[in-house]
Amino acid sequence: MKKVALYALLALAGLYCLWPFLWTVLTALKSPQEVFALPITYWPRELSLENLQGVFYKRPFGRYVLNSLVVAGGATVLSIFLGSAVGYRLRLRPLQSAMALQRWLLVGAIVPPALLVIPLFVLMKKLQLVNNYLGLILSYTFLNLPFAVWMLHAAFRQLPRELDEAALLDGLSRWGILWRIIMPLSRPALAVTATLVFIFSWNEFIIALTLMPQQEMYTVPVGIAMLSGVSVYEMPWGEINAAVAITTLPVILLIAAFQRWIIEGLTRGAVKA
Amino acid sequence: MPVAPTIALLLLLVLLLSGSPALGLTTLRMLGPEDVGGAWAEVIRRFEARNPGIKVQYISGPWSTDERQNMYIRSFLGKDPFELVYMDVIWTAKFASEGWLLPLEGWLPPERWEEFLPGDIQAGLYDGHLWRVPVRSDAGMLYYRKDLVKEPPRTWAELEATCRALARPPELYCMVFQGMQYEGLVCNYLEHLWGAGGQVITPEEEVALLSEENIRALGFMRRLLQQGFAPRGVITFQEQHSLEFFQAGRALFMRNWPYAWRLLQDSPLRGKVGIVPMVHAPGGRPAATLGGWGLGIAKGAKDPEAAWRFIEFATSEEAQRILHERRGAVPSRRALFEDPEILRRNPHYGNLYQVLLSARPRPVHPEYPRISAILQKHASAVLVGIESPQEAAGHMHRAIEGLLKGRKASWPRRLLLDYDLHRTLLNTVLFTALSVPPEFLLGLLMALLVNAPLRGRNLGRLGVLIPWALPTAVMAMAWQWMFSNPFGVINDLLVRAGLLSAPLDWLSSPAGAMFAAVFADVWKTTPFVSIILLAGLQAVPRELKESFQMEGAGAAKQFLHLTLPLLMPYIRVALIFRLIHAAGIFDLIWVLTKGGPADSTRTLSLYIYDLAFRYGELPYALWLTALFLLALMLLSVIILRVLTLRYERVF
Repeated sequence: MKKVALYALLALAGLYCLWPFLWTVLTALKSPQEVFALPITYWPRELSLENLQGVFYKRPFGRYVLNSLVVAGGATVLSIFLGSAVGYRLRLRPLQSAMALQRWLLVGAIVPPALLVIPLFVLMKKLQLVNNYLGLILSYTFLNLPFAVWMLHAAFRQLPRELDEAALLDGLSRWGILWRIIMPLSRPALAVTATLVFIFSWNEFIIALTLMPQQEMYTVPVGIAMLSGVSVYEMPWGEINAAVAITTLPVILLIAAFQRWIIEGLTRGAVKA
Repeated sequence: MPVAPTIALLLLLVLLLSGSPALGLTTLRMLGPEDVGGAWAEVIRRFEARNPGIKVQYISGPWSTDERQNMYIRSFLGKDPFELVYMDVIWTAKFASEGWLLPLEGWLPPERWEEFLPGDIQAGLYDGHLWRVPVRSDAGMLYYRKDLVKEPPRTWAELEATCRALARPPELYCMVFQGMQYEGLVCNYLEHLWGAGGQVITPEEEVALLSEENIRALGFMRRLLQQGFAPRGVITFQEQHSLEFFQAGRALFMRNWPYAWRLLQDSPLRGKVGIVPMVHAPGGRPAATLGGWGLGIAKGAKDPEAAWRFIEFATSEEAQRILHERRGAVPSRRALFEDPEILRRNPHYGNLYQVLLSARPRPVHPEYPRISAILQKHASAVLVGIESPQEAAGHMHRAIEGLLKGRKASWPRRLLLDYDLHRTLLNTVLFTALSVPPEFLLGLLMALLVNAPLRGRNLGRLGVLIPWALPTAVMAMAWQWMFSNPFGVINDLLVRAGLLSAPLDWLSSPAGAMFAAVFADVWKTTPFVSIILLAGLQAVPRELKESFQMEGAGAAKQFLHLTLPLLMPYIRVALIFRLIHAAGIFDLIWVLTKGGPADSTRTLSLYIYDLAFRYGELPYALWLTALFLLALMLLSVIILRVLTLRYERVF
């Protein structure tokens, strides 16, 4: 009896969490006329791909996707590279002082992006990196580095120190140890960290909005948010929902694929924070 | 050393090499909209024929006035300005106060100002100097259906009486105007404010909006909608919408600019339309908002004398006649309104002249863009019905006063004067207080749920994780769709469940919009709390749980005395994180409500962002950011102190 109630609650919680996404997909799959049909239909009368096609044919959505991929991909590679280097360096220190240093990094990571955007903009303007992929890649790396260090340091620490000593004796340099031994042994942690950094960068809005004012440089979230009309009747809601579904689906797939490790990785880190 | 000849020789060489056709040739550049009808080309052709040695280059810019203003600003900042500055009335004060223009009264002394319409000259005056000579004029006025309305109304009361007698909505409404939240709404609103005898800023630079006149003006605008004299749709109307509505024969009156006249002559309403000055309050005088364009000279122009020669010609009767004939521009020179040729072809110019004589410029102030934004917001709030005229007048007055006093004060003092800052701070506190507690409650429940030893709980954990991983800005769009009316699924569900009797306009009422924002934020961030607390739950040692159970402690007791104290460090982390991020919220609100309606969901981050990127107040914005950050850090330290249990301090 108690079990049944718990299952019911679990199902309810799942529905609550997934509902906005499900509704978006359901709306996107309606025909453009049915989107604005009253009364609302909860299941599309007929499945239509017109909205999904419209997103790519009528708007430069493909370009936005490309921009997002370049920026999020670049930031991921750079964060993993730098995060591994710093994480490895921290691993060589005694636990106490490594944790203290890491805590300071995390203090930086807690600042909401809305408070970082103005200084970042001033800086990027000086460097002439506005409307430039590099500007956003550097910003996202800066934003995500504390998180990457935190995840990777926790994973690297689990590897026995004897490994390093043996490798040193074999004549490997410090970089060689990181590259040939530590990183291959920490593949799951690297995968999870890369996934999350990619998702964070893919999702980011305010900095992309500010550093990429030119329409050809919009990332996906900015491109979607900029779709607007004077009233609810003029908004292209069918296409907006299609765009939202296309943007969120890869995130959900990634999360589903790595769910186990993500929760493990996040909870392990949280214990120490 | 014969320096001078050497330099002259060098200069000659440079000129020859650069292919310049003649020595002493001055080129003047001017940026304007596309030269429809070739009017400017003709003016320039005649000017150049009489002024050999001066070349004028007309650069066709974008149609958007804002875009062209930005192009001018960029050219000033780039130190290579367009020599001729073709300005909208509302740019002058800003350009002049920034020191980008040359004063013109040396060339056009005050005794010659009378040749122009008084409002047009007044709009070019700032800080005691003349910066702009009017080329073309523009003013708002009342179009009416001559065939239906025998006696055009002069006062609000007469208009309302006519409405009651003749209007038959929904086929025939009484009046249309520009009610969308944009610059045009300010023009409409000011005509009523002035028509009631009120004003925005007194000549002594005092804000004067907390006045009976303002409340009456806003009250009149609201009555037009409340009594059904104006269609509900006017709150989304710009000039073109109003004209289409009026042209379709669906309204007796329309407030619009002179350009509408020509278009009405080509419509079925030809001969059925008259114009009169705008209606005014009983006891007041008719007023019109002045529009129009004029020319100034950029500081740094190499040959200002040549620039003046062109301005003198471009504002002459001859040039204004060309602009009038080819583009329908309304002249700014009085004499042309008595010109028999013009009057013969435009019999309505007699009436138009009366309107123009009463036309007033919008407040000539370097902060005009922000003043206008404030007026728009609250005039719109009154039309939509979310602020009473009294409330709106109060907000307008205090916000503009804070702005004007603040820009002269030191930064610390400005904090106290900045009304927008106070309002957005209050909204931020409200949003945080409303969203964080439910996030914690739900987050804890969900963490307990997905920690329970059930089959398939991994699927549950996945579900819980998903909102956290989805892009906030993108999902805000999904929430906007779900909260919309009439197509929103939330209304539909609530009505079906019997919780609502009729669908609500969630996002266009202050409380509804705040609720929607909090609801969406709770959905989005509860998973974060769950994940952190789940980590805490997993760290509770099994032996301890078992020993509690052996002693026969109930579930509640176990939770209170074992789980909760052990969760404390996790709760602290999650709470600090959530408070800071709720206070710094931007993405969700920017997309979902844009801070509206009438600023009711505008939080600090949105305000600071606007300061930096819309109002050009970067240093002030940076300073506020630093203060905000400091406040958040302080908050975190306090939480750490308060929520650290006594026994934890021992370690």
